[in-house]
Amino acid sequence: MKPKTDLTDAELLRLMMSGDEESFTLLYKRRHPSIYRFALQMSGSQQVAEDVTHDVFLFLMKDGHVFDPNRGSVSSFLFGVARNYVLRRFRGDQLTVPFADGEDDEPFDQVGNEPDPLEDLTKAEMIDNVRRAVLSLPERYREVVVLCELQELSYGETAEILGCAIGTVRSRLHRARGLLLAKLRPNKEEEVLSSAVVESARCFA
Amino acid sequence: MNCQKFESLAADLARGEMMEVDVLSDARAHMAECSSCSLRLHDEEMLTRGLHSVAVEMNSLQASEATEQSLLASFRQHSIVVPLTPTRSYRPYWLTAVAAILLIVFGLVAVVWRSSNKPPNEIAVRPLTPQVPMEIKEGKNDVALKPSNAVNVSTQPKPKRNLSPRAVQAKNFKADKADNTVANHASNEVATDFMPLGYLNPALLQDGGQIVRVEVPRTTMASFGLPVNMDRYNERVKADVLLGVDGVPHAIRFVQDKRSQ
Repeated sequence: MKPKTDLTDAELLRLMMSGDEESFTLLYKRRHPSIYRFALQMSGSQQVAEDVTHDVFLFLMKDGHVFDPNRGSVSSFLFGVARNYVLRRFRGDQLTVPFADGEDDEPFDQVGNEPDPLEDLTKAEMIDNVRRAVLSLPERYREVVVLCELQELSYGETAEILGCAIGTVRSRLHRARGLLLAKLRPNKEEEVLSSAVVESARCFA
Repeated sequence: MNCQKFESLAADLARGEMMEVDVLSDARAHMAECSSCSLRLHDEEMLTRGLHSVAVEMNSLQASEATEQSLLASFRQHSIVVPLTPTRSYRPYWLTAVAAILLIVFGLVAVVWRSSNKPPNEIAVRPLTPQVPMEIKEGKNDVALKPSNAVNVSTQPKPKRNLSPRAVQAKNFKADKADNTVANHASNEVATDFMPLGYLNPALLQDGGQIVRVEVPRTTMASFGLPVNMDRYNERVKADVLLGVDGVPHAIRFVQDKRSQ
């Protein structure tokens, strides 16, 4: 008999549903960080992320039997449940996502004296800006960015979680990235234009 | 490749998604020519790096210990209050029990049904060769045929097949059912005797025959010397035509419903 740590999520879930506490603990430890991060990246609030994580696993222990292994993995199932709780929280509690669109320009204005803000995205400040930009996206685009880019799931897994076609995920991600670029580089076009003028001036010089 | 096509691929290029070699080389060629698309790809790559940095930075985050403790407490409480195992473990047994009961019921029904039918030996003895039980009144010009059962005349001699007792039983059941139908039908009708159509050689009917129900003008009855109600002369009347195995009609009888008399 193999140790429980080697069991798959589905096997652990089955044992958990039969009342095995160790299996629940193992499954929780294995899967809760990604669920927590997903909720945090979607909401921007640690409190919401804690609540959603709690609710997701509470749902699992009560209604775990609704999981169908033919329809996807336990991980996708948990993400789907978490997504529903996050969206319910947005609508029910009238949760306002911090950093509205209008506030996005401010941090970029502060770094506007740098030659190209996107060059420094790896810096801590820019990471914060990216996070804010993600949070300012509409829900349908935000969840795709969070799942595909931040959780690094495949298009197929994301489509499974969202219950839509892979093509829809691709198009939403394309659109979301366009929005992120627009938010992160509001004055990009002007910069490109100015650099082009300089280049042409050099050519004629 | 144009700029629009490149733009649709820029995100996938920046994310390192797999794509066809031709498309990739086209994209690279276009990027070398078009500075704006090159910049666009550069931006996309920077965005990918930024998003990756966010993911890495948040990778260590997880829920607090309090959440886990709260969930464990709920799990213990839940497993005591609602024991899921016993209810679910009995489900297969219930299904098995129901299936067994259904099997027994079907078995009993089959036994009763089988015992109520004729034994297979008796059915096998039943002659398959058709018979034309007719009485031919000779000595007159006309020959009156009285088939005891009109339907039996139509049976053709068929080669005996090795049928299973059950198949024979089912076949016989259907035949009996058909016989009953005709008998009921016949009891509602009044028919004349069969009247020959031309010269009737009884030997021709030894190989069997067939009776076909037709409708003929009522005036046809007059040609056989039967009285015709002139008020209904334009109506049609039912008639049974006795056909030989060669398909030639040999005799006819006129049929009328009792109700219409």
